[in-house]
Amino acid sequence: MNMKKKVTSIVAPVVTFLLIFAIWEFACWFYKIDAWFLPKPSEIFRSMIVDFGEYWPHLLVTLQCVLTGFLIAIPVGLLLATLITSFPLLNAAMSPYITFLVTTPLVSLIPLLMLMMGYGMNMRITTVVIQSFAVINMNACTGFNNVPTLRRELMQSMGASRLQTYRMMILPSAATDIITGLRLAAIFATTTCISVEYNAGNTGLGSQIIKYSQYLQTTKSFACIFYVTVIGLIMYGLITLLQKKIVSWEE
Amino acid sequence: MQEAKIKFDHVTKIFETRSQTITAVKDYSMEIQAGEFISILGPSGCGKSTLIRMLDGIIDTTEGDILIDGVKVNHKGKKMPSSVLRKLGFIFQQPNMLPWYTVRQNVALPLRVFGLKGPEWDNRVEELLEMVGLKEYADAHPNEISGGMLQRAGVIRAMVHDPEILLMDEPFGALDEMTREQMNMELLEIWEKTGKTIIFITHNIEEAVLLSSRVYVMGTNPGRLVETVTLDLPRPRKLSMITQKDFIEYRQLLESYIGEIDLSKIK
Repeated sequence: MNMKKKVTSIVAPVVTFLLIFAIWEFACWFYKIDAWFLPKPSEIFRSMIVDFGEYWPHLLVTLQCVLTGFLIAIPVGLLLATLITSFPLLNAAMSPYITFLVTTPLVSLIPLLMLMMGYGMNMRITTVVIQSFAVINMNACTGFNNVPTLRRELMQSMGASRLQTYRMMILPSAATDIITGLRLAAIFATTTCISVEYNAGNTGLGSQIIKYSQYLQTTKSFACIFYVTVIGLIMYGLITLLQKKIVSWEE
Repeated sequence: MQEAKIKFDHVTKIFETRSQTITAVKDYSMEIQAGEFISILGPSGCGKSTLIRMLDGIIDTTEGDILIDGVKVNHKGKKMPSSVLRKLGFIFQQPNMLPWYTVRQNVALPLRVFGLKGPEWDNRVEELLEMVGLKEYADAHPNEISGGMLQRAGVIRAMVHDPEILLMDEPFGALDEMTREQMNMELLEIWEKTGKTIIFITHNIEEAVLLSSRVYVMGTNPGRLVETVTLDLPRPRKLSMITQKDFIEYRQLLESYIGEIDLSKIK
């Protein structure tokens, strides 16, 4: 029974995948759609493999930017959340601006940051960090603030120090919320990185999508988009792995 | 007369919220001797939970003093010292286990916090697990065992650092009737064996009569001491006693006090 369920959970999405691409393929062939308008998926997949040497350096640049930015954003977001929730004064002083950061589309800052920092990796990573640490911070704050009163009382009844309380009780209590923040931040990081690459420089998958679109090389454009999806999947996989490791008790 | 183990000396607690001021406990005094098993009985909202939280340093007092072994332990705005907290074990209304730790780790948590290390403490954890029949489940996580087992784990967690006083906040209120009776009898056994001082909070009259030597009846609005009843019933107590004449009389007496409180509330 369980085995059957497992097989279904793998087979069903694969069938969906094949079905969608089959319809797409068939429609392109049946309606004789031009490749510059909408290429056949088979062509896109072929290009992903055949022209891999062309995409590879850009894939690497994007992945590096997303991962580095994300990995810097995690400690920044968590540290800030810890400070904010530990000191009410800081909380009052900071919380409106954190909301600003989350709600302002940072994409609008890109031209400014380009002006200040140039087109290089530093500027790209900075943008990714700014956009993703805020959402990590916001979710971590929620987690820290929603710790059940009884658990606080338990730690108080033993006279636990701030550090003990944080390590043994608050951090694990907030783990689920923190993971949610990381998931959102991963999406923010990828989106921001691609947006920066649209505008700045000629490296990274974002820049290639723009370039190939302008040359009407839609197949290659799509190949790059699919590689962006691959990056998204890598991020998702990493976080799921982390979740399994950290909040294993919730299974 | 011997010095009281625990003394409440005209203790008052006032909570100030944005919209109102609530007197949770008003001018409460009591003295408990070492090794006594006493109950604090009252309807919800009478401040009984506030009372033992003040004793355990979880909340501040507004006025009055709390003394343990003759030493004043409440100092406004200051954390209760570790040396005092080590004398106390708190058992919550819910098991209040930390789900990321195993049962054994949960039970041993006070040892980690108090910094008590060594084989004698490790052995103590194992002995306590054995005593309440949790040995086989020691490596399980809290979500894998039943409510009764969890509450047992909560009881021995409060005892693991060998406190002199156990504070119990309606500890078995969330359990079904049968498990509750069984837990009460186990608790009496533990008390008779260890001679700890126990303060037992409850709103269940029968439970209060069955377990304790003295019952402090509290009333609401404001939370206050209404009456103290000393129970002259033989020990060891047995479940069969609840149908005996003395027991029923005590129960009715306590019911009358609780009833009066309700009447005064209506007026």
